[in-house]
Amino acid sequence: MPEIDQQPLFSAVGIAKSFGGVQALRGVDLDVSAGEIHALLGQNGAGKSTLVKILNGVHPSGSYSGTIRLDGQPVAFASPAAARASGVGYVPQEIEVLEQLSVAENVFAGRTGLGEGMLVSQRRLQRHAAEIFEELGIDIDPRVYVAALTSAQRHLVMIARAIVLRPRVLMLDEPTASLSGTEVDALFAVLRRLKAQGVAMIYITHRLPEVMAICDRATVLRDGKVAVQIAREDFDAETFIFSMSGQRMQRLFPEHAAPVGTKPVLEVNHLNVPGHRGAIHGVRDVGFSVMAGEIVGLAGLLGSGRSEILHGIYGRVAATGEIGVEGKRVDIRTPRDARAAGIALLTEDRKRDGLLFNLPVGANITIGNLGPLARNGLVRGGQERSAILAAMRALNVKASSPQASVMHLSGGNQQKLLFARVLMRAPKLLLLDEPTKGVDAATRHEIYRLVVELAEKGVGLLVVASELEELIGLCDRCLTIADGRIVDEFRRGEGGEERVLRAVAAAQARDRETTMQASQ
Amino acid sequence: MNSAAEANARPGDVQSLRRRLIGFIAVGEVGVLAAMALLVAFFWLLEPAFLSERNIRAILNVVSFVGIIAIGQTVLLVAGEFDLSVGSVAGLSAVVSAKLMTAAALPVPLALLGGVGVGALVGLVNGLIVVKLRIPAFIQTLGMLFIGQGLIQVVTGGYPVYPLPPAISTIGGADLFFGLGWSFVFFIVAAIVADLMLRRTVLGRNMYATGGNQEVARLVGINTDAYKIGAFIAVGALAAIAGMFVMADLASGGTSIGSGWELTVIAGVVVGGVSLFGGAGTVAGGVIGILMLKVVQSGLVVVGVNANWQQIAVGVIMVMAVGLDILRRRYFTAGA
Repeated sequence: MPEIDQQPLFSAVGIAKSFGGVQALRGVDLDVSAGEIHALLGQNGAGKSTLVKILNGVHPSGSYSGTIRLDGQPVAFASPAAARASGVGYVPQEIEVLEQLSVAENVFAGRTGLGEGMLVSQRRLQRHAAEIFEELGIDIDPRVYVAALTSAQRHLVMIARAIVLRPRVLMLDEPTASLSGTEVDALFAVLRRLKAQGVAMIYITHRLPEVMAICDRATVLRDGKVAVQIAREDFDAETFIFSMSGQRMQRLFPEHAAPVGTKPVLEVNHLNVPGHRGAIHGVRDVGFSVMAGEIVGLAGLLGSGRSEILHGIYGRVAATGEIGVEGKRVDIRTPRDARAAGIALLTEDRKRDGLLFNLPVGANITIGNLGPLARNGLVRGGQERSAILAAMRALNVKASSPQASVMHLSGGNQQKLLFARVLMRAPKLLLLDEPTKGVDAATRHEIYRLVVELAEKGVGLLVVASELEELIGLCDRCLTIADGRIVDEFRRGEGGEERVLRAVAAAQARDRETTMQASQ
Repeated sequence: MNSAAEANARPGDVQSLRRRLIGFIAVGEVGVLAAMALLVAFFWLLEPAFLSERNIRAILNVVSFVGIIAIGQTVLLVAGEFDLSVGSVAGLSAVVSAKLMTAAALPVPLALLGGVGVGALVGLVNGLIVVKLRIPAFIQTLGMLFIGQGLIQVVTGGYPVYPLPPAISTIGGADLFFGLGWSFVFFIVAAIVADLMLRRTVLGRNMYATGGNQEVARLVGINTDAYKIGAFIAVGALAAIAGMFVMADLASGGTSIGSGWELTVIAGVVVGGVSLFGGAGTVAGGVIGILMLKVVQSGLVVVGVNANWQQIAVGVIMVMAVGLDILRRRYFTAGA
């Protein structure tokens, strides 16, 4: 292990930020020294991304309180460009490459002139890129088009893009999320070289084995505060898991007892769902069931395949496997088939695949449900209106009228509107993907109550939520998902956040071991 | 009433009036209609002959041909796609039906049906290729524009198909009212049916959903592919009908029927507030947009403006109309 310069190169003191009244960060301190790889850990919503966005200027100075120091001097970044100019680089989690350009052009994106006039010399770009790659030990031909690269190679290109500017501080946001075992090793080799060159790195991850493998120090965030800071010699999976889950303020969940002796409303066997473009994880041979009146949660990290299970059942993506609804085998190829079988899905991203911004509130509720409100294909205005008003009342959707635009509704009201839409057909099975994402505390409670009410009416519910506390508090039974497989299952009262994190960490460690054995 | 109460009352009244006025303008068609009324008044003041019976008839006659296509184009745009091949399809259907009733000696009704069939078939091909092969509508229908023009030449050998059976000139020359014929009647009936379809039926609502966000529409169980293909077929069939009305009007299967219509149609419906990005607009709006475009063209002729300037005016008006529409939307969505 190289000597770590004890004088911090980059530090943040007392960083606090709130979004519309919600305190995301409450006074966070963090420092990194030259040649140090500092892990930043925490559950979803703990404040990791907010902190990193502040540190690299996405949230400009002035929008937060606290001080950032570089070389002991206070700095204020007005934009990511300003941060880069000061030597603070950032590799985002999402891969942002220009597919139609060559690797070399991508590495120098935005400065292909190399600062020497208007003309772009492909040869010189390629030579410079090759030099960088050589230095980092990256084996990619700078001349090929990025479209031909794997997602791991794309990630390396993005890292090279950040490195070209010779940053003294580099932040990496979950760089291994879409990488396989050997690719992770290649990335680590690059990071070790940067470390040897004295670059200070902040490494965000969910994967404890990686922290153990490469990081010198770790900071765990919880509820917008630093829960604990751990030096390498004290690294221990137990400590990490305990500090990440912690004991949070108890939130109240409506009481619900798991149903006894009801029949399964959903049975899934051998479900396989392909992964997203670029990602390697889909869902592999998953089987489980949901009883009538039961609330089942899918726990796991982002990208573990939780949402893909819902999408596979709903026919949103091509999936193979056996799906039975109320004891009858159903063949679901499209969302239409799923709806016909009595399944409804509430999607995670309201703006992208939930709301129709070209239609008003009322039509957003009835879309897809117009059948019973029409005669001979003609929508009966009066009936539709009363159905809309009834749905808005039942779910407490606050909008000035059914004609109002959905754009101006609060997140909570938009979510309740979408609940009204999926409930209009009285589904037997409701798939909920992050049902409380981006909604205020009061609506959150309304949604919990609604979920329990539906269960009491005999609806089966399958819930995905990133906040483990919420999932565990709400669900009768939790299935823990890691890398597209069910790795653990427990009933209410049999385990908490710790149990989930432990199961995920164990699965990751197993996976890493097998890939290492395979590559040896 | 004391003065303080009066002072308090007035802003309220003004505000409610303002709100009502805003609500009125927020209805897309009203803005275009008002603009058109202004233009009509303007041309009439410059040259009273603008509102002569003859001129009004000429405008309505032209609008009836292009307007029939505009109806289909509006529906297709609402479903989130568009068709650049409508002019070619109109011409192709006209010459094919003309050939069917002359060279093939088919009865006139059958020959006309054949023409509609050609249009619908082209629409089906466009729809299948755009939806199933995911080739952008811009490319597919632009290609079809050229293919259609080529086929017109292939079918006719470059010469107009003439003479046509007398039944055709009877259809084309009919004077039902105000000197307007069957094309105008068809145009009005089709416009009303399509407008009601979009406004009031499940079909129409699903069309808006498909154009607004295809993925959302799919998730609520709408067969978005079928809706898009259906809209392509409707555009093709309507283009064919428009082309054959022109053929009847000319009493000849001319090879230049429909040439250049595609852009007039798109410009017109866009002026009428139909969104190029899908999910927004009405048939009434699209039709009024076309009417306005023709009013401007005719008005410029009547007041004696050089023909070159007329083209420039059409271009400027289209960009202005869309610009105003975007401003209007931004203003209203900003929460006035």
